[in-house]
Amino acid sequence: MNAVLYLVPIALTLGAVFGAMFAYAALSGQFDDLDDPPERMLRE
Amino acid sequence: MTPLSPATAPSRAERTDAPGVARCPHCGTAIEGAEDAFCCPGCEIAAAIIRGAGLERYYTEREAYAPRPEPLTAAWAGVPSEPRPDGTVSARLVVDGLRCASCVWVTEKVLERTAGVAEATVSYATGRATLRWDPGRVDLSTLAARIAALGYRPRPLGVDARPDRGLLVRLGIAAMAALGVMGLYEGIYAGWWYGGMDTRFAALFRWTSLLLATPVALWCATPFFAGAWAGLRHRMLHMDVPVALGIAVLYLHGVWATLAGRDGYLDSLTMLVALLLGGRMLEARGRRRAADAATALAATTPATARRARGDRLETVPADAIRRGDLIDAGAGEELAADGIVTEGSGQLRMALLTGEAAPVLVGPGARVVAGATLLDGALTIRVDAAGRDTVLQRMAGELRAAADAGTRPTPADRIAPWFTGLTLAVAAATLVVWWVFRGFDAALATTVAVLVVACPCALALAQPLTAAAALGAAARRGLLLRSSDALLALNDITVVALDKTGTVTGGDLRVVSADDATLRLAAGLERYSNHPIARAIVVEATRRKIPLPRGEGIREIPGVGIVGWVDGKHWMLASGGPGVLRIAAAGVPAREIELADTVRDDSAETVGALEGAGLEVVLLTGDHGDVAALVAQRTGISEVIAGADPAAKRAAIERLRARGERVLFAGDGINDGPALAAADLGIAMGSGAASSILVSDGVISSPSLTPLLAGVRAARAAARVIRFNHLQSILYNAVAIAAAAGGLVNPLVAALLMPASSAVVIWGAARIEPMVRREER
Repeated sequence: MNAVLYLVPIALTLGAVFGAMFAYAALSGQFDDLDDPPERMLRE
Repeated sequence: MTPLSPATAPSRAERTDAPGVARCPHCGTAIEGAEDAFCCPGCEIAAAIIRGAGLERYYTEREAYAPRPEPLTAAWAGVPSEPRPDGTVSARLVVDGLRCASCVWVTEKVLERTAGVAEATVSYATGRATLRWDPGRVDLSTLAARIAALGYRPRPLGVDARPDRGLLVRLGIAAMAALGVMGLYEGIYAGWWYGGMDTRFAALFRWTSLLLATPVALWCATPFFAGAWAGLRHRMLHMDVPVALGIAVLYLHGVWATLAGRDGYLDSLTMLVALLLGGRMLEARGRRRAADAATALAATTPATARRARGDRLETVPADAIRRGDLIDAGAGEELAADGIVTEGSGQLRMALLTGEAAPVLVGPGARVVAGATLLDGALTIRVDAAGRDTVLQRMAGELRAAADAGTRPTPADRIAPWFTGLTLAVAAATLVVWWVFRGFDAALATTVAVLVVACPCALALAQPLTAAAALGAAARRGLLLRSSDALLALNDITVVALDKTGTVTGGDLRVVSADDATLRLAAGLERYSNHPIARAIVVEATRRKIPLPRGEGIREIPGVGIVGWVDGKHWMLASGGPGVLRIAAAGVPAREIELADTVRDDSAETVGALEGAGLEVVLLTGDHGDVAALVAQRTGISEVIAGADPAAKRAAIERLRARGERVLFAGDGINDGPALAAADLGIAMGSGAASSILVSDGVISSPSLTPLLAGVRAARAAARVIRFNHLQSILYNAVAIAAAAGGLVNPLVAALLMPASSAVVIWGAARIEPMVRREER
């Protein structure tokens, strides 16, 4: 069970990394338009 | 959103017609004569541009014919564009008439392959084009003319509402933290079940949860604290106050519990914040979509005018015109300034200004105003008011000043003060009673439990979630409402007042009677013209699948009509009285075509359905009494107020309101503006004047009245669901508070109870669309 003692901090770190990536993606406008990019892909 | 309406899409099978009949390869109009001939020079140019750019694929892949190209007169020089660091500039346009993915593709590619263009993207979903170009090599008017040459109509776009990216980040972080905390607390609750947990792990789980919950409470939840603070400062206890109170109590108790080695309500806290942020997000997205759509509908092409300078004419932007200038206007053009006619004559259409559908014949000495469209003939006008001083701009300016947006408190906000007061009273009573009988420690735990379960999550979610669902349901059916306030107002409406021209009727002249042979001759003469009457004739001929014959030697005689050879005879097409065209040739009896502004196909049905829904329908028009009576009779409207000028329209609305009615007014003109602003709910037609769209609470984006009915249904469904949700969440809160005051609630019970009520709310919102659909059957 002692694995939990270091698995929890690892999970937290991973979570923080993913959270930061999500925040970066959202703030740089990647979620602003969800309708067009899929259409555009089909048009080429 | 309308630009992609497939209404005119031809099926591939339809392209084979009777022998001797061909279709214009660009716009698909039926024509007599050789295969692959074009119907008009515009289509020929469009095809040349497409071939020149190497995009022939467009013709085999498209699912709809392109619209017929029309020349574009506009002053694009003044359109705001944004300079970029690399020396290019960018601007955004709305493009009308994009009917299929291939239309979007061809527009984008033609622009991309224009010299000097750095980047061009056209959105299929919204019909918006984003352009970036080198100002030294090409300008916006050239690019706009390229789009117009293909048959699509560009209009400059103002600033769109930017999505709130911060809110999305808050929601994402809160949701991630909620999942983490929930997992950890599940471990803690499992520890309860198995009778104890290793203290080391319990401490680790509690501290980790606190670590995850801290940014949620202190950062993600700030919109609620900000809202509560703003409310308190204005001495208003709205819904954010009890929500913020609940979040604060949950978090402070969580910190205290973690320090004291006990279990808190951190899982409930993070879950609650994530749910509430999700509700906000949906509401904001719906509002933004409606606002963007309204911005696009209100975008107007900047006008130009031809000004006489000595002997020659120069084309200038409308705002460069000054008092005393002489300007020329030709058939199909919109007047750029107010003035007196000095020369020429022609028929003016002033429907958007006066509500009068029939054109007015003007000649020297007549006063004309900016915004009126010249249907035929040519005028020279001595300008006496230009730019902001025109009647049009003065009316639009007054409207903008009058349209002040005050938000009304929602039903939940009206409950909030009572709710907060009652909660605090119960909490205080609990504290005192438990302190006296069980001591401070137990009293504190119970009081916190009361405050926690009292957090009106479901009550706060009910309004935004349900409203977002209902706004979406209305928008899908063509009614774009700007806010959930407008939705609530729509539910309370008792009287629907409708403008006539452009609202109950189509607003444009259409052929109402003519036999096929007559129509064919007229269409042959008119097929190369862009006059609105010519367009009406060609549209009707196309609708009846009459191939357009080739006319020869066609000449337009301004103010009189059009002459030319068709089938070996020399015809003359001229006005034969109001709303009548006469076509004649030597040795042949004259034939007539009747044109009128006709009632929309669905108007009568919609009026009937609105009356069936218990609403009183009134026709409120600036047009003459007999025209109004005829339209009223065709649509089954019993109450008519005719001959009303803008002030009289507003007065009529105010009289209805004084009688205690709640009035919806739908209209499309500048002259409808005051009435739109005075009504409880003003709905503009998307095809109408920009200023009417700007002052309205909502816009109908399709050329029909049916969206009004869909809106009423969506609003009523939303009101029912919101009422039910308020009832159930208050009931839930009452039961939960009573249980908490009795000491029956611990973190586990709260974690199970609180989402249950919110889940019911979400279920209610999901029922809106099926409820509206059921009524449509």
